[in-house]
Amino acid sequence: MSGAALLSARELRVERRSRRGSFTLQIDALDLRAGEVLAILGPNGAGKSTLLRALAGLEHPARGAIDSAAAGPITLVFQRPAAFAGSVAHNVAAALLGRGLERAQLERRVREALERFEIASLAPRRAHTLSGGELRRLALARAFVLAPAVLLLDEPFDDLDASGQASLSLDLRRAIGDTGVAVAMVTHDLRRALLLADRIAVLLEGRLAQIDRRDSVLEKPRTPEIARVVGMSNLVRGVVVAAPDGGRRVEVDAHHAIPVRTALETGCGVWAGIRPEHLKIDVGRGGSGIAIGKAVVRSVVDDGVAASVALAWAGEELHTHLLAGRGLARSLEPGALVVLAVQPEHVHLIPVAEAPRAAG
Amino acid sequence: MATLETALIVEITLRTLAICGAALLVSLALGLPLGIALGRRHFGGRVALVSLVNSGMGAPPVVVGLVVALLLWRHGPLGVLHLMYTPVAMVVAQIVIALPLVVGITLAAVGALDEDWELQVRTLGLPPRWRRGLLLCEIRLGLLAAVIAAMGGILSEVGAALMVGANLEGETRVLTTAIVMYVGMGEYEMAIGLAAVLMGLMLVLTGVLTAVQQSGRR
Repeated sequence: MSGAALLSARELRVERRSRRGSFTLQIDALDLRAGEVLAILGPNGAGKSTLLRALAGLEHPARGAIDSAAAGPITLVFQRPAAFAGSVAHNVAAALLGRGLERAQLERRVREALERFEIASLAPRRAHTLSGGELRRLALARAFVLAPAVLLLDEPFDDLDASGQASLSLDLRRAIGDTGVAVAMVTHDLRRALLLADRIAVLLEGRLAQIDRRDSVLEKPRTPEIARVVGMSNLVRGVVVAAPDGGRRVEVDAHHAIPVRTALETGCGVWAGIRPEHLKIDVGRGGSGIAIGKAVVRSVVDDGVAASVALAWAGEELHTHLLAGRGLARSLEPGALVVLAVQPEHVHLIPVAEAPRAAG
Repeated sequence: MATLETALIVEITLRTLAICGAALLVSLALGLPLGIALGRRHFGGRVALVSLVNSGMGAPPVVVGLVVALLLWRHGPLGVLHLMYTPVAMVVAQIVIALPLVVGITLAAVGALDEDWELQVRTLGLPPRWRRGLLLCEIRLGLLAAVIAAMGGILSEVGAALMVGANLEGETRVLTTAIVMYVGMGEYEMAIGLAAVLMGLMLVLTGVLTAVQQSGRR
């Protein structure tokens, strides 16, 4: 699916100074490959948008450079897209101005771009009257009408409601699939990123902390900070010890331990990471994994789709997800005592001493 | 008598349009690029320059006339050009009055755009000529407001025109200076006629410009 590098950042250093202080983005090596979708994740202020602007050529690096092997345009859709004066159709056509296209050709491309993002019916409307979601679709149509080789997206789902995010992410996935454009996308929405991304890059404090295939980063984050960014929110510190069955487990305290599969030596200090979807409430039907002890329900937050359950276990707060409105999610009350279980292969261990570094 | 007065009114009106039109064109040619540059670029001394422009927007025309008169006076720094009491002197004074209005209103229109508006246009990879076209289209309401303000300032100005033009018959007499003169002479009928023409001009021109300005808002 992905091929040669279209954009390459090497030894890149971008310095920004503002009234709020200074910030440095430093990227040793980063490639955006043909045909791939690279999701750039990180907490606020990590430098995600700065990196995207640098890739778009809108930043002046203090050191290093961005090399482009892209045969077509490189375009950026901003977090807050601008509506130009005039109609929606005029806004999309504006991207093709001065390119020597015949009128019929221009109109066909504009129509196709509007239809791709399901805003053809809005064509005659003044762009300044669009809602946030419609404007975002207009910005994407304006970018896709250029037939870009590289598309850079800054928080494409920001400020959209859940249904707007869902429908736009599906349209975007279809458009990316149809055109084969290489995409680098900054987002804080992990679910949308996972829907689209082939690879994930995690930025922390202006540095590339990890970049790898989507599943590798999700399942094997290199540091606790990366784990939190990619949704591995259950992180418990412990020590690898031998289990009575000859295997290994992570001992959290005298009464709590988590079964694991690892080649790490006993005595090794680790963070045990469990994704919420892999932490189960054992209801005695089997299949949930190996029981790790009792926990007290702290809260149940039901958004109509999923219920997020916070649990107190070994002095830590852990989280698990349940389907909303179904049996267990409806019966759980704060204060209830439940048994937690986990499959050993779903526990990711991060040695405490390991320093964060980028991997390719 | 009536025919003679009509011919006089037409002559004064045409001269007014020529002098004011020239001043307006030069003010726009200089002021629009300057206003756009001041609105988009950040450089040392910009705040001082913007402050100067804002002060100029409120400068009393009679003071502007005095300054231009001192410059063009026979013994002034530009006296060798022999421009005093000529239509050119009036055009110069009117440019000094209108230029800050054009620059100030244009830079306010550019400044009202989102900070990254221009970056968003840049990422579309448009040639510079088309980028400028999009910018002018985006700030067109402000631009037309600048034109209307400058035209109003120039057409209604009398103090500077009298000072550097001297209201010479057949040479520098324009609608405003003629009205002042006829009132001074007690010929109210002629003064009212000229005032009606001046008001008519203002209404027609601002009406046309306003129609153009608001046409894009549908």
